[in-house]
Amino acid sequence: MFLKKPDLTAGCRPTLAPDETLLVVQDGVGLYEGKYKIASCQKGHAYLTSHRACYVDDADPRANSWAIDLKDVERHEYQAGFLKSSPKITLYSKPVKRGFGSASRSAVTQSPAFQRITSASSPSSRSTSPFRPSRDSPAELPVVVGTWVCPICSFSNPVPSNFDPTIATEAFPLPPCLACGIKPPFATVLKAAIAANAKHVPESIPPSEVASDQGSQPRVNRSYDDGNTSNTIPCPRCTFHNHPGMRACEICSAPLPKPIHLQRVELEESLARSGSPGPEISGLTLEEGQQPSSVKFSFRTGGDKVFYDRLKNAMIQRKWLLQIAPPIPRTDIDPVSRPFNSESSTPPASRPVSVGIAGLEQRGLQTRKINETVLGNAFEDLEALMASAKDVVALAERFAVESGTGLGLSSPTSDPVLSQSAAALGMVTTKDVLGDSSNSLYVSELARNLAEYATDDRRGILRGQGGTMSLVDLWAMFNRSQNGVELVSPSDFRKAAEAWVKLGLPVKLRRFKSGLLVVQRRDASDEKTISQIKEWLNYLKATEVEQVLPWDWKTYGFGVTAQQAASRFGWSLGVATEELEMAEERGALCREEGVEGLKFWLNFLLEDE
Amino acid sequence: MNQAGQKQENASDFVFPKSYNFPPFFSPQPTALTREAQLRKWSIFIQRYCRHHRIFQLTIIEALDTPLFHNATLKKRLSLKDAKAVIDYMVSKAGDERAEWLGPEKASAWIWWRKPEEWATLIAAWVDETGQKGTVLTLYELVQGETTEKQEFYGLDMEVLRKSLQTLVKKGKAQVFGAEDQQGVKFF
Repeated sequence: MFLKKPDLTAGCRPTLAPDETLLVVQDGVGLYEGKYKIASCQKGHAYLTSHRACYVDDADPRANSWAIDLKDVERHEYQAGFLKSSPKITLYSKPVKRGFGSASRSAVTQSPAFQRITSASSPSSRSTSPFRPSRDSPAELPVVVGTWVCPICSFSNPVPSNFDPTIATEAFPLPPCLACGIKPPFATVLKAAIAANAKHVPESIPPSEVASDQGSQPRVNRSYDDGNTSNTIPCPRCTFHNHPGMRACEICSAPLPKPIHLQRVELEESLARSGSPGPEISGLTLEEGQQPSSVKFSFRTGGDKVFYDRLKNAMIQRKWLLQIAPPIPRTDIDPVSRPFNSESSTPPASRPVSVGIAGLEQRGLQTRKINETVLGNAFEDLEALMASAKDVVALAERFAVESGTGLGLSSPTSDPVLSQSAAALGMVTTKDVLGDSSNSLYVSELARNLAEYATDDRRGILRGQGGTMSLVDLWAMFNRSQNGVELVSPSDFRKAAEAWVKLGLPVKLRRFKSGLLVVQRRDASDEKTISQIKEWLNYLKATEVEQVLPWDWKTYGFGVTAQQAASRFGWSLGVATEELEMAEERGALCREEGVEGLKFWLNFLLEDE
Repeated sequence: MNQAGQKQENASDFVFPKSYNFPPFFSPQPTALTREAQLRKWSIFIQRYCRHHRIFQLTIIEALDTPLFHNATLKKRLSLKDAKAVIDYMVSKAGDERAEWLGPEKASAWIWWRKPEEWATLIAAWVDETGQKGTVLTLYELVQGETTEKQEFYGLDMEVLRKSLQTLVKKGKAQVFGAEDQQGVKFF
């Protein structure tokens, strides 16, 4: 499977694997399958991680998001933008082994010579249509092969594959010229299509013949070798005899008829730069045997250069190999025991079994030794430090936790959260990750990041705060968890928070009457809060009290202060005050000002006596 | 609270409304809707209290320490400002003009648990009933006489009586004549 459905986080970003890091994010990206625009994937974000390239749709991220494992990518290619055509990055898939296909498919993978050719192209470019390099296209569309020459710039454009000269009318939506973007007159295209039909029908090869050709492996090799000397290809348009290696005429750049044995065309090369309003398919469905051979990212709003640079680096670094690689062997220590969790790891068979206090002591000694080695090695020089960064961070965190609990410093709620560093947080949006320095993209990514941070079940930050926390608290907590690097400025933070609703994220920003800004789950509403408070106050009515109260508490219950509400619902004091006042404003509560402070009661003033 | 079942207009026991024992009743509410309800309850309560104790004129500063504005059990009281706000509400159209300040300094106010017009109707009905139309009655006779002992307007404040008779005069149903404390009234 070349295209995969990525798991998305609460913030609608791809979930990262443990070792995966985010390299770059770019918005305003469209997705192409082969040459075809995917209509449902034309406005989204491209995420490049160390392992994957992902497209996440803006409108419907759950349905229209795709990920490509970089390890499945055979080759990548960059096209610069030209006039109306946006810059594009094409990823070509590695040839896929298929169980059902045919003998020819397995033959392909066995032959080194053939492998070289196919690998450079798509594995599925054997259809008679040069426009749709996937196997199944002939069944889908009435294929017309031909080129029309643009009357403005005289560029030779392909006739759209769904253009049938027998039934097409003036109303047919003709794609504009790929070079200059001007729409052609209908007659020009019609003529070209008819001419092409007349020319190509006799030339086209029955599919069965093609299939048999694929199967005959030796013939492919032979003719490929022979090709240098004899087989020149006459151009159908200008009759120039081209070198057999050419895919397009050297003189007029018309696509050349391929020698049958080499009929696997790199369409993205020969017909570079399709215009933005190019041929289109409505959606992408992942059916068996319909895997696209190449996928294009079109960068409508720039950022392509950075993306491509980082893609190249990622392809060189091949971080995904680390995932399956064994841990770096450590000298003079037991390779199985990890430095900081030797207790939890399964003891190696070779370790001498020791029991009792002696055993525990021995184990402790061993752990200390390993830690010592880790630190010793890591700080030897900078490179070593970088290499063992992960171990050192983990060690430091463990020390932090231990020392914190030892001193009894950690408060039960927020401290474990804060002691987790940015490294543990995984995906942190920094300005560095974003290609161009467009602030809006940074803000939207930060918004997603924050939404994930706040709603993450492991940390339960928002939940721990009773579902409502002030924006300032979240800001402080988030920045403290960044360990002092890549801090977020208050204004960016505010902007990101304001973008939550727009981006359809599971949290929202709410402004109380006093101007206090708080973060809430999207489904939180005043009504829910009020009913919660009412429920609580009604519950208080039922409680038994010892001392005699001057009021009829069985009817009226008790007044509650903001403090009581805060401790009851886990809110901060400011939030509790605001929530109570909000409920008061809605007429659910009323206030009593007294020597004991401000208390809130169920609103019996509104009830008739 | 526990005397709720007892007879209401018993001379000594005034039954306070339930809200009187609801602590927030004594704190001004910031929310408009709640405030409106609170003031209405106060207005009804004050009218009932004044009717029970036959108070026609309320001096705010003196009333502050009476049970009207001071709930000793709850240790709650209405401040002078809040009490004035309540009376202000009663004076306003929204409060049905159930009160009237005696002067711009707002020290005391008429509490119209029965408005002058309503008193006038009451008196006119009594006059009609007893067939005294056309006869001259002194004001003293009306409110302190033996014949009106059973009537509600018995013991009516002289000032209130004059005000209500004035409304009848305006309608042409009565004529008031005589000097300062020797006034008489003739009903048509």
